[in-house]
Amino acid sequence: MAEIRIDCLYEACPIPLLKAMKKLKKIAVGDVLIIETDHSCAIKNFTEWTQKNNLPCEIVEVDNGEWEIRLIKR
Amino acid sequence: MPQIERSIVPRKKKKDQKPVFLIVLCVVLLLLYIVGSNEQTLGIYLTFGIAFGFILQRSRFCFAAGFRDPVIVGSTSILRAIVIAMVIMTITFSIIQYHSLLQGIPTIPGHIYSIGFHTALGGFLFGVGMVIAGGCATGTLMRIGEGFLMQCIVLIGFLIGTLLGARHFPWWEKNFINEAPSIHLPSYFGWPGSIGLQIGVLMLLFYLLKRYEDKHNIML
Repeated sequence: MAEIRIDCLYEACPIPLLKAMKKLKKIAVGDVLIIETDHSCAIKNFTEWTQKNNLPCEIVEVDNGEWEIRLIKR
Repeated sequence: MPQIERSIVPRKKKKDQKPVFLIVLCVVLLLLYIVGSNEQTLGIYLTFGIAFGFILQRSRFCFAAGFRDPVIVGSTSILRAIVIAMVIMTITFSIIQYHSLLQGIPTIPGHIYSIGFHTALGGFLFGVGMVIAGGCATGTLMRIGEGFLMQCIVLIGFLIGTLLGARHFPWWEKNFINEAPSIHLPSYFGWPGSIGLQIGVLMLLFYLLKRYEDKHNIML
């Protein structure tokens, strides 16, 4: 189980989601993908998208206005 | 569904933002008092502005996402929210306009402008711009308030564009816009007919968007 981080700080919607979609294709099943973002709308984007695609997802606010979105590829 | 273990601890302790909030709240209330006591309408505008900003920030309501997400991820939830908002606006604005006509006010309240090819072209240009910039006018302002730095650059571009647009608008108006017709639906179909038609079209749109969301599951 590898952990892959992608840095999406200062990037506006929909760049974080698009980057995550691209990366998710390349990683192995069971790997954890961590997206770092400071764009609050990305959170809403991700929760909706992961629910629709049935991906386990956890969102942690690591600092004021800074989030880590963790996904597992299935 | 496998769960992700809750293992991460915050990297640094979060700063307490309550004092900043209280200071900003005091400044806003003071500003509201100064502006409102000088000119009541400006006070009302400011109150509505603050309320709009608060609702936009809390609800994550984003017009750019509304029109972009159906294409990128196949989700129409925000666009459907916009359609519902338009239904509410249709009803309330009809009441306002009908009421003011009954009172004998000669001009119909609201922004009634001529429509034509320029409306579609302008909408397309604005759409391209807002998706690249990551927000429309309200979204940009709301995110600057949140502290999202990238949007400050967008605001500079927005100001330049608005100033240029205001400067060149008379020429466009004279050559293209003035000849196009202005249409106020109630003048053609009557009040019940036009309200019914508009709400019917919006409900059809809502239904089509819901079906689009169920069918499309875009995963690049």
